[in-house]
Amino acid sequence: MAALTLPGRRTTRGAPTRAEFRVGGWARSIVLLCTAMYFLVPVVASARYALEGAHGTYTLAAVTALFHDPVLLQSLLTSVEISLGAAGITLVLLTPTSVWVNLRMPRLRRAMESLTLLPLVVPVVVVVLGIYGAFPTAVVASPVLLALEYVVLAMPYSYRAIDGGVQALDLHTLVDAGRSLGASWPETFRRVLVPNLRTSLLSAAFITIAYSLGEFAMANLLSFTTFPTELFQIGTEQVDEATAVSVFALVLTFAVLLGLSLLGGRRRAGGLRRGATLSVGGGDGIAAEVDAVLGHVDPGVPGIVHETREVP
Amino acid sequence: MATASGVLEAGSARPVGGGVPPRAGVRVELDQCERRFGEVAALDGFSLAIEPGELVALLGPSGCGKTTALRALAGLEQLDSGEVRIGGSDVTAVPPNRRGLGMVFQAYSLFPNMTALENVGFGLRLRKLVASERRRRAHDLLDLVGLGAQSGRFPHELSGGQQQRVALARALAVEPRVLLLDEPLSALDAKVRAQLRDEIRRIQLEMGITTLFVTHDQEEALSMADRVGVMASGRLQQVGSPDEVYERPVNAFVAEFVGSVSRVPATVGAGATVEVLGRSVPLPAGQAAFAPGSRVDVLLRPESFAVHADRDGLGLVVRRAFLGPVMHAVVALPGPVEIVATLPSSAAGEVVVGSAVRVEATGSPLFVTEPRPEAR
Ligand SMILES: Nc1ncnc2c1ncn2[C@@H]1O[C@H](COP(=O)(O)OP(=O)(O)OP(=O)(O)O)[C@@H](O)[C@H]1O
Ligand SMILES: [Mg+2]
Repeated sequence: MAALTLPGRRTTRGAPTRAEFRVGGWARSIVLLCTAMYFLVPVVASARYALEGAHGTYTLAAVTALFHDPVLLQSLLTSVEISLGAAGITLVLLTPTSVWVNLRMPRLRRAMESLTLLPLVVPVVVVVLGIYGAFPTAVVASPVLLALEYVVLAMPYSYRAIDGGVQALDLHTLVDAGRSLGASWPETFRRVLVPNLRTSLLSAAFITIAYSLGEFAMANLLSFTTFPTELFQIGTEQVDEATAVSVFALVLTFAVLLGLSLLGGRRRAGGLRRGATLSVGGGDGIAAEVDAVLGHVDPGVPGIVHETREVP
Repeated sequence: MATASGVLEAGSARPVGGGVPPRAGVRVELDQCERRFGEVAALDGFSLAIEPGELVALLGPSGCGKTTALRALAGLEQLDSGEVRIGGSDVTAVPPNRRGLGMVFQAYSLFPNMTALENVGFGLRLRKLVASERRRRAHDLLDLVGLGAQSGRFPHELSGGQQQRVALARALAVEPRVLLLDEPLSALDAKVRAQLRDEIRRIQLEMGITTLFVTHDQEEALSMADRVGVMASGRLQQVGSPDEVYERPVNAFVAEFVGSVSRVPATVGAGATVEVLGRSVPLPAGQAAFAPGSRVDVLLRPESFAVHADRDGLGLVVRRAFLGPVMHAVVALPGPVEIVATLPSSAAGEVVVGSAVRVEATGSPLFVTEPRPEAR
């Protein structure tokens, strides 16, 4: 409560007064309102723009048109495939890595954290140039490569989600218990660790999916026709249609994430140990997901358009 | 007290649940085991043999390597050298999941995503037992540890003691050849601990399962075990029945670690005697190697002292503890030496804190050893 009161209004006596609490309440409402506006205004404006017909009427023409565009639907399918692939690879690669580091090489934990942050530091253009240099053209054209790239680009978020969950487990004890009861390594991993990492793994998967669905720069530079690049293409000709699609995508993704958060919350309350910090991994993960979504799907049209204009 | 009666009643106590047949234990041997962690030798030539169906308690100070020894037996810790044999066959290279052991850990180790019943059934599921049989066996074992009514609870809905009971049931469910317990009671409060201790012993006797029990609580070790192994810095110092270890320690460490002793300077006399606090008492059997006239330290149990109120005595009563039929008095003597003596409660009127007393040695010392290099 006190944290929300403005520092200048603090009485010298220390304890916050009634008035301060009221000011705190107001301040909170204003902050919440501003934050909501920051996210909602562009969405509402986009939605209005997309639905507006001639002479101030509203029409769903732009929305229905998009379902009759085979190229757009194909690009959506491609994006979904790539993002699911990226999420799958992320889980298969990063979960054992995090478990292994925490179990056998805890001293490398810090180093791993730094390492997984690197994709945030290296600009996409640099990565793309590296890819062109390192791989033959046939490989560069394969969507598998794009999926692998997304695994790397989303890693700062996905590794954190997984690692948070792994660190919250009493890893040594669970593994020893599993092993002593007759479980082989793969069985221990599958039957003991994975079920207890469920929330974190879902978070990591969704971060990766959200990131991959909205990523534009890399796909565009590598000449893939994904949902965002196609959206951009359409946007150059039919702006209202492109806007309608991006709003539609945003709302859909947001609904899915919200559903996941609720699901994760219920799971936690039900099966898992009270006081276990599984929620730390899960909670952070969801926050990061929302970041990823808002940072990548939402600017699908306006944000990325600017970015690409600067790239010759 | 509760311990003794619990053990005595074991034979007539609740019968083992239906699907759990009594098992003949196997012999277990750890032979010349070595394990180093950097500079620390956690196991330093550690050897121990456990007879079929026997419960051996491994006792020792913190960090002496008890957990490492247990984990080496379980296969959870690799040995640098040495051999582990279970039922006569060398299992040193066998991974933990194929050693057929049951283990209960010091930390709460139930799988948080599973109910008590699912936890107990875990090992059976790995062994591909059909679901109905698995549930029946798991229920039997939960009944055995007195938690039949809590089978649907998740670990976070159980108390610490209940969690450890479930962990015990889970370890027993796979019908292990050997049961390993690593301070399973140390996180519990005294009452639950005593209760669960009796219960573990009862079940162990009923099933006849070879058991290694690690603890640093000597009362726990002495009251539960068939034999007690005392460990220090990676080595087994002595292994024997509780009374053997208590009455006939093989070295000063064991004497001082098990039970209460006081260390008093003394001089070896002629004819296998030793001069202690102005009295000549016989040297303990097998300790006649000291030359007459040599200065030694003797270790005496509290009951080997007589304390008399005496205005001219050299002792001063520092503390007193009343224990019902007897009392303990801590007496400071010149030297300076501090001793703990047991005396009848009837002396409580005279031997009070601050009073001068005369102390005599009345019995043979427990152990005679070289004097400590530095005077205390
Ligand atoms: N994984 C490890 N890495 C480094 N050192 C270790 C490791 N495990 C044990 N040790 C060291 O080995 C020694 C023996 O440890 P161990 O856990 O066997 O002791 P313990 O007798 O079980 O002690 P406690 O009663 O405190 O549980 C200790 O000095 C400990 O610091
Ligand atoms: Mg230990």
